[in-house]
Amino acid sequence: MSTVSSLTPAPASALKRVFGSGFFKRSDTSLLVLIVVVTAVAAATLGDFRTISNFSNLLNTVALIAIVAIGEAVTIIARQIDLSVGAILGICAYLVGETTHHISGPLGPVVGVAMSLALGGVLGLGNALLIDALKMPAIIATLATLSIYTGVQIFVNNGSQLYLTQVPKWLSGLRGATWFGISTFIWVAVICMLVVGFILRRTRFGRDVYALGSNPEAAIYLGVKVRLRTYQLFALCGAMAGLGGLLYVSQFGNVDATAGSGMNLTVIAAAVVGGVSLFGGSGNAYNAVLGALLLGEIQNILELTRISVFAEQTLQGVAIVVAVAVYAVVSRRLRRPVRREAMAVATMGAATPLAGATSEGGSHE
Amino acid sequence: MNRLRHAVVRWESGLVLLIILVMVLGQWADGDLLSSFNLQTTALNSVVLLCLALGLAPVIMTSDIDLSVVGTLALVGVVIGDLTAHGTNTWLAIGIGLAISLVCGLINGLLVVLFDLPALAVTLGTMGAYTGVSFLILKGLAISTFPSVIVSMGSSNVTGTQIPFAVVLLIVFAAILSFILHGTVFGKSVFAIGGSRKAALFSGIAVNRVRITTFVISGLMAGIAGLLFLGNYQTAQAGMGASELLPAVTAVILGGVSAYGGTGTIPGVVLAAALLALLQSALGLHNFSGEGQTMAIGFLLIIAIGLPPLSQKYKDWKRRRSASPVTVANAVLSSSEEGK
Amino acid sequence: MTTSNESKTMTPVVELRGIQRSFGGLQALKGVNLDLLPGEIVGLLGENGAGKSTLVKILTGVLEPDGGQILVDGTVQRIANPRVARDLGISATYQEPAVFPDLDVAENVFAGRQPMRKGVVDWAEMYRRATEIFEEIGIELDVHAPVYQLGIADRQLIEIAKSLVSGARVLILDEPTSVLSNREVDSLFELLRSLRGRGISLVFVSHKLDEVTALTDRVVVLRDGVLITERPTAELTIPEMVRMMCGRDVGDLYPEITRNSGEVIMEVKDLTRPGYFQNVSFVLRRGEILGLAGLVGAGRTELAEAIFGITPAESGSITIEGHPYTAQSPRHAIRCGIAYLPEDRLGNGLVSGMRVPLNMTMSVWGSIANRFGRFRTRVMYRQASDLAERVQLQAGRLDQLTSSLSGGNQQKVVLGKWLATEPRILILDEPTHGIDVGTKAEVLGMVAELAKSGVAVIIISSELEEVRAMSTRLLVMREGSVVAEFATPIDSHLILEAASGVVKVGQ
Repeated sequence: MSTVSSLTPAPASALKRVFGSGFFKRSDTSLLVLIVVVTAVAAATLGDFRTISNFSNLLNTVALIAIVAIGEAVTIIARQIDLSVGAILGICAYLVGETTHHISGPLGPVVGVAMSLALGGVLGLGNALLIDALKMPAIIATLATLSIYTGVQIFVNNGSQLYLTQVPKWLSGLRGATWFGISTFIWVAVICMLVVGFILRRTRFGRDVYALGSNPEAAIYLGVKVRLRTYQLFALCGAMAGLGGLLYVSQFGNVDATAGSGMNLTVIAAAVVGGVSLFGGSGNAYNAVLGALLLGEIQNILELTRISVFAEQTLQGVAIVVAVAVYAVVSRRLRRPVRREAMAVATMGAATPLAGATSEGGSHE
Repeated sequence: MNRLRHAVVRWESGLVLLIILVMVLGQWADGDLLSSFNLQTTALNSVVLLCLALGLAPVIMTSDIDLSVVGTLALVGVVIGDLTAHGTNTWLAIGIGLAISLVCGLINGLLVVLFDLPALAVTLGTMGAYTGVSFLILKGLAISTFPSVIVSMGSSNVTGTQIPFAVVLLIVFAAILSFILHGTVFGKSVFAIGGSRKAALFSGIAVNRVRITTFVISGLMAGIAGLLFLGNYQTAQAGMGASELLPAVTAVILGGVSAYGGTGTIPGVVLAAALLALLQSALGLHNFSGEGQTMAIGFLLIIAIGLPPLSQKYKDWKRRRSASPVTVANAVLSSSEEGK
Repeated sequence: MTTSNESKTMTPVVELRGIQRSFGGLQALKGVNLDLLPGEIVGLLGENGAGKSTLVKILTGVLEPDGGQILVDGTVQRIANPRVARDLGISATYQEPAVFPDLDVAENVFAGRQPMRKGVVDWAEMYRRATEIFEEIGIELDVHAPVYQLGIADRQLIEIAKSLVSGARVLILDEPTSVLSNREVDSLFELLRSLRGRGISLVFVSHKLDEVTALTDRVVVLRDGVLITERPTAELTIPEMVRMMCGRDVGDLYPEITRNSGEVIMEVKDLTRPGYFQNVSFVLRRGEILGLAGLVGAGRTELAEAIFGITPAESGSITIEGHPYTAQSPRHAIRCGIAYLPEDRLGNGLVSGMRVPLNMTMSVWGSIANRFGRFRTRVMYRQASDLAERVQLQAGRLDQLTSSLSGGNQQKVVLGKWLATEPRILILDEPTHGIDVGTKAEVLGMVAELAKSGVAVIIISSELEEVRAMSTRLLVMREGSVVAEFATPIDSHLILEAASGVVKVGQ
């Protein structure tokens, strides 16, 4: 049923070997096609679009969002959500920028990356703690941590901001640097996509994330360690947000107390539009990347055609609603168990420890 | 009957106690807290928050959620501000703004109820959409002059008294909403749906109608909140009020409304909003920054949600310690049965 | 029907000794002894309420027994949860397979135990072994297919494959065929026989006695929590099986039914909802109690829900007192005088977080409001206490949360709620399920009284004795169709035979 996308044979089979066949789904291929079409049309009709500077700016922005969206996707697949990623990013941006300022030599980048991942991970664990220990629904827990972390962010900034001059050269230069002709940001994004994609696809942890999102009761029944996985997945999401923070410093130079605010909706929209279902259980890292790419492009086009610089939130909001609606309609059509001529699906009388094991979407969350 | 009242009173009296505590401590630490001027300011500052919370409460009680209220607030505020800045008649502008808020709520209701989409996802999306439209309208501008009607609605006192008009207005709203939720069939239906949507449906309650109405109410209250925001802060900007979402949700949950629906009271929400406002004021007097106050609210939300399950766990632990093994075993077995 | 390999040693895989289990005051199992031997198929028979589900739940670790022992391979074991059961080699498949719809077949089969290589999931190996398993047992399933595309029959096969992968030696199949077509049943049976050949011990829980006869080596019959008999299948005829399941009358549990039905109040013609029921036609008279018998999955609840407006039928017609009636919503149904007591009491019948008076008056809240919309609490309490008296609910119960009431009292509250609507037609779906004997008699007595006063009652019940004793007239449904109509009194076995499809009795 699943088709490998229409890549050239060699990369396709390599991907197949690493990720297992069944990696690409038909809907993802159509999204990719859509992106290609949009890019082609825009490049053909908009002079401003096809400039190198626009392109590189666009890709850098997209890369940054994609990285955080990859982490967010992990939580969404598990039927959770993380509204605090923007604040995590902001905290990490400032602190990592500040700290690496004092570290010279090749140790700098190492510490920078390690610290951003670790700090982000720890902040993510805070989310998991609330959800696990206090049994809070993720939406409210991360709403609370959003405010708390924002407060921490402001506290840490201490009324000032991080200036470009305080940022170590290797970091500020990252934005313009290229490896083999491709911007470093894109490399980082692609690496994250591959690594997280691999984790989701090839580790027990990753498979448990899907199980939890697809049918939480069956997952518990079959012995998935829910608590451990909750901590792990929010830590991963936080780590990605932290890494995004590192890149944020490079991208914008100045880091003030508002860094990362407003990113939450963008990141969720990117994941959802890219194909990660808000009902949980499906999607992968590349969906987040595709979504970030598509949304980023549309946003760019809107800006260039002066339709409005300010359409961003509207776009993201509408995109989420449409994506959810489309998914609900399509999945309802697909998920109906096959009806037989004479028989119905019976439930009473038999010993069913799992009532409602077939997921019917989460309209009551 | 008595037991019902008793249970309800317990949460509210806890809130009242906390309010008194904050008052006493705050006044002792910094003598200005209870000055009439400060109380006025505090009350005015809490008006927007309470307005949002009052609208959110019914939605959460039916076990839905509406994140888009701040989007509606921003949109309505921007529309009214923009219209009046361009010379439209004030009352007409207000009418248009409130009409928009009804539409916003209706859209939410239709998407969630008729299309059967998850409320969380939908209102996350509409929050972005409505806020986004406010950006499209006002772009980067800010409006700072408003008709005196609006300003006095949001800032001045009732003639001859020290009580802000807006506070009186909110108290009237709270009373109306309290009557609706606790004294009418509609209100009982809200609680029934929150308790068990299927049972409510099977009992003949017009579930869809009630749910859509709660979304419309939250939209309307968010629009009114936008209007009061204009009068209170005398500024209109795209995306305004976004930081009020968390305090509003906190006020609702702190007020005793369960995050899963089915319980809660309006007086509780009012008390919780008052508590939050007082707390913010006390912290502000102590030079806590605005963000520090927000953090405190975040912690309060955590405590408010975490307390019931933790206290339940504590009670279970105590019971288990004093019970014999047989009782314990039976209790565990029967609770695992109920969970199915 | 072959017997298992004689040369195999007859050490039981699982031995149950004196298993007891109660729920509240109800004793579901009263000391059951059972051995499960390798390489055999055992049919587990019994009416609803006989204790079959409880026994299965105990074997699979969902419940623990109050008394008795379980031995696996001769050692006493405590099966504390499903994981332990699975580790001991005991698996079960249910009518609602526990699958992950978004994941593919292979991963579902290996859920929780994916093959790993060098620390990561080895997909190639997983697909290979999954294909292997399916080939071994002779099933054709695309291991790459996402499960949401598959129907129930295939999902069941996945569950079976999953059990094999986890090394099951005892496989319990709970009513597996009620959702399968004939062809699918045949292939399932072939599969089960080959599993038997591999030495697996299979327990086939079913009401379909023809299938039990065709498939099993021996049958075990439970009745009222006691193991009545255990015999090789070949030695029993179906009527004998039925008689053992039904047993004698259980005393004066049932009230006296008055048999004076009035004129026709509802007429149902060719009501169809594809996949659930088709061409259902019957009439309902005032004052009569129409029993609706059948096996689980026969479509009775769906029919009731269609009449009540929860999920309306797609074609056919209903008239009430001569006027056409379209089922739109429960609200509309109530206005037309129909009341429905749902099967799932706690989920659909009551808002458990609310107190008794609110629940009892829920369907008539509209009438408790005054002109201005104010909800008159005092009026509610008065109505509630009146209703409580009518349903013989003790006064002290009035102020409690419904969740703290016993099953019997809860059902009284639900009944009270429906009495308040003064229905002309009352549909009861498994009204005495999970209720103690005393309350059962009270509830059924009230139903009889209602019928006497002219209410038309439809009673859906899977308990043969109940539906037989309570009805003035009986319809039997099977696989979505009405297959028989009996006037009562009638022998239980005739009902069961019609329900199981052994003998198709004409109208």
